[in-house]
Formats: sequence, structure tokens, C-alpha cells
Amino acid sequence: MADPSPGTLRVEVSSDPRALGVIRSVLQVWLGLIRFPADRRPEIVLAVDEACSNCIRHAYGGQVDETVELCFSATDDWLEIVVSDRGTPCPSERTECRPLEPPDPERLRPGGLGLRLIREVFDEVEFCRGTKTGNCVTMRLHR
Amino acid sequence: MNIQITRTETETIIAVEGEVDLYSSPELRKAVLKAVPKSGGGLAIDLGGVSYMDSSGVATLVEGLRSAKKHDKSFVLVGPSSAVMKVLELARLDRVFDVRTDA
Repeated sequence: MADPSPGTLRVEVSSDPRALGVIRSVLQVWLGLIRFPADRRPEIVLAVDEACSNCIRHAYGGQVDETVELCFSATDDWLEIVVSDRGTPCPSERTECRPLEPPDPERLRPGGLGLRLIREVFDEVEFCRGTKTGNCVTMRLHR
Repeated sequence: MNIQITRTETETIIAVEGEVDLYSSPELRKAVLKAVPKSGGGLAIDLGGVSYMDSSGVATLVEGLRSAKKHDKSFVLVGPSSAVMKVLELARLDRVFDVRTDA
């Protein structure tokens, strides 16, 4: 029997930090449905949570009545998760790829730590931004 | 998330349970920064009951460590759960903290 595929799942949540727990629960269920290895689920959940936290903190500046959109899809070989918002575009220098040397705790910038985690967990991470509004991060992982 | 604070003669123990994320970490940050100056010899953060921690939780621990250094206090993580160790390792900050494995 072929693997049951739940297809593409789209979720829209409010830009409220309390929604993060909901996102984590939904993602756990989806990762179970696509039979993603249980021991690797926590780090996927963490990285996606970080992407959503960045939308809430940086794009919306803590405004809780906006929306964050997530799109989960999977093939036999790849898993792809897209997180997007309609907030303030993030300056490109903040999403640039930096070498992953151990960070200096004296100089740690909290937002930068989230991006570091996302890049550690996923194989491919792409950022795009609108000219006036909106950010989108596409995260892909070879299964 | 639940926080319980216990003071002994030598240190202040902050026991954290549940999920530490963008929503709950400000409460932990407040408790840690408030406890540092009056913590006797130092602060012990018991993380055995933490089921989830994100980068805002890690940033809180880093801030606590910095504050403790400034006040000349010790800052130790006690029995961190696998969820905590995982995020510290991914952030490559697992060697920055003193870790006590016995609870």
C-alpha cells in the first residue's frame, strides 16, 4: 500500500504569541501523518516556531491581530514548509547567510538566534520579501 | 509554563515546568533577572520539567548568565531536559552554560 499522503495543508493563525502552541500541535499531527521520523520531529517544530515568532516579533512588531500563514507539503523525498506574513519587510542583510561558528554570548541578538536554528535544521532556506509589505520563508528538508 | 522559586542559604533555585516560548519566556526573564541580585551565592535554574524551549527561552538564559556574571553570582542549569539540550546544541550554546546533572 502506498503511503497515505495528507496532501498540502494550509493554516492561518493570528499573530499572537499564544497561537504558537497551536501551530506546534498542528505541525506535530501533520508530521505524524506523513510518517516523518518521530525523533526528528521536535527540531522541525522548533524551526517552524522560530519562523512564526520572527513574523510576530519583527514583521508585525508585536501586533497580535494580524495573520501568519503556513503551508505544509511533502513528497516521498522532500518536506517543504512555507511561512509568510503581510507585515514590514525584513531588511535583506538580516536574513543573509552567516557562517555557523559558535555564537558569542556577549553579542547575541535574539532574532538572529532564531534564524540560526532554522538554518541548522533545514537543508534549504529561502527568504523573499515584498516591496512594501510581506515576508516569506521557504524551508526544505530532504527526508 | 510554571515557575517555582526556592531560596536556600547558598542559592536560589528557579524550577521551570512546561513550554518556554515567545509567549511565556517574558515571565521567566522577569523572574530570573529579579532573582539574580538577591540570590545568595547564585542561581540554579532547574530545567528538568521543560517540555519545549525556543530561542526566546535560550536568550533568557543567556541574559540571566550575563546578569549573574555582572553581580558576581554563579549561574547553573540543573538537569536540563532533552528538549532544552537539543535547542542549546542547535544554537551551539551548550558549552556556554554550567550544567549540573543531578537534580
